Amino acid sequence: MKTVTEKISFGDSLTLESGQVLSGFELMTETYGELNSKKTNAVLVCHAFSGNHHAAGKRDGETKSGWWDEIVGDGKTIDTEKFFVVSLNNIGGCHGSSGPTTISTESGKPYGANFPEVSVSDWVKTQKLLADHFGIDCWELVAGGSLGGMQALQWAISYPERIKKAAIIAASSKISTQNIALNEVAREIIKKDEHFHNGDYLARGESPNKGLKAARMLGHITYLSESNMSKRFGRKLQDPENKMDEDVYYEVENYLQYKGEQFSKTFDANSYILMTKAMDSFDPAKDFDNDLVKCLHSIQAKLLIASFDSDWLFPKEYGLDIQMSAIKAGVDSAYIELDGDYGHDSFLFYSDQYSAALKNFLNSNG
Amino acid sequence: MDSKLQSIVLDWIPNNSKVVDFGCGDGALLKILTEQKSVTGYGVENDPEKINACIINGVSVIQQDIDAGIQNYKGMGFDVAVMASSIQCLRKPRDAMKNILKVANECVITLPNFGNWELRLGILNGKMPSSPQLPAKWYETKNLHLCTIADFEELCSDESFVVKKKVYLNRRGSSSWLANTFPNLFAAQAVYLIG
Repeated sequence: MKTVTEKISFGDSLTLESGQVLSGFELMTETYGELNSKKTNAVLVCHAFSGNHHAAGKRDGETKSGWWDEIVGDGKTIDTEKFFVVSLNNIGGCHGSSGPTTISTESGKPYGANFPEVSVSDWVKTQKLLADHFGIDCWELVAGGSLGGMQALQWAISYPERIKKAAIIAASSKISTQNIALNEVAREIIKKDEHFHNGDYLARGESPNKGLKAARMLGHITYLSESNMSKRFGRKLQDPENKMDEDVYYEVENYLQYKGEQFSKTFDANSYILMTKAMDSFDPAKDFDNDLVKCLHSIQAKLLIASFDSDWLFPKEYGLDIQMSAIKAGVDSAYIELDGDYGHDSFLFYSDQYSAALKNFLNSNG
Repeated sequence: MDSKLQSIVLDWIPNNSKVVDFGCGDGALLKILTEQKSVTGYGVENDPEKINACIINGVSVIQQDIDAGIQNYKGMGFDVAVMASSIQCLRKPRDAMKNILKVANECVITLPNFGNWELRLGILNGKMPSSPQLPAKWYETKNLHLCTIADFEELCSDESFVVKKKVYLNRRGSSSWLANTFPNLFAAQAVYLIG
């Protein structure tokens, strides 16, 4: 699989939904496969909350493959022998694109908490500029799960002529009150870390790792299904030799400790806050008198809306809600409920049924 | 759906209409309707394999149990609702009919006729009958409420469902003098346009 990892700079200023302006910005990108001469085989994959540009393949020295490696690759569901797949780290992230860890040209210090608020439609705007950069007039498919699925939906709304198909997976047109509440708890945990310093920790050479770790542990529970957790860990006790912490008793505790710890080493606390805020505020219907049907009217793309039965964070009713509005709006749209063992995280993993739906959608005519 | 039946349904559905097909299977009818009559079509289906077939066919589809779902399609601007050989599979066919007529201005219903003489013979032989229209064995059939043409038309009259058009077809899927004259005995299928 031909893979190119590249940081791309955009010199023009970008006015964000909040009204704030970035004088220029950088996108960390990774592409797989080759763009054909007519530039008609391009697929954009959008990452979820904690993902990044590294969607597929395994780099030297890495233990884990990219976040959508089970789906994207040569001969896989999104076949990189056939399609040119573009992946990027969204602005506000912390894996190479402009974000809170970037050094501000004005202050000479990392932006930290001063990095402007970003929204899903801001991301889509930057992704459109990225399409321009590659000379791609129209995506064959924009796909993503969770927060990535929200970007796919926003694409279909914002740039109807530049997208043929959108795969909106384990997503919704706005998140639930409960989701906002969970995000707020996570943010609170981070902010109360003594090393957070109102988001100015980088300039002080500190990092609120404890808070970030605990926030991720909470989040991680919401990404898994109850049955999956029971199956994997049950009430098994943690073997003493591999304990992450003295107080750990059960395997599931150790697992969360481990996941939280790993995450806190690679993620930025301000990015965490920005990303969750972007998720909370996503509600494309708000610009259309809160009428999702009106909001979807302009869509020309075909939609695939997929929900997983074990997902309690973005339950299937949310997918169905988009579908019913799409029908009212007369948008071509397929809605499918998939069996998934992994709760909300099911969108990351291959299953025959899931792969068939996505692959058939991508390869269907029209 | 066989070709004669399909051509009747195609004939009855106006160009550029918005159609919902309850129990759309692999979406074949909707695909043809889209290609030949420029309809905006949506299928409702609950079998994941058939949903996938719809996706391959490029047909818009919703995975949902029809029994639970018909009333959800009210107020969506459908001109025509189609229910092809599905009505007898529903838990409450009469309620379903009432709901369908709230979903769309008109509905096209096709029905296997349980009164057909061959099926009656089967019963006389003391066995659950089968036919090309009703091929499944009694223990695996999805049919819950089989009825005869006479039963169905009685329901329409009792509930004041207006039958605007109807066609009776014999077991070979064609119109015949016998099937038209004694439909309850000789028709294997009936297709109705109800408004």
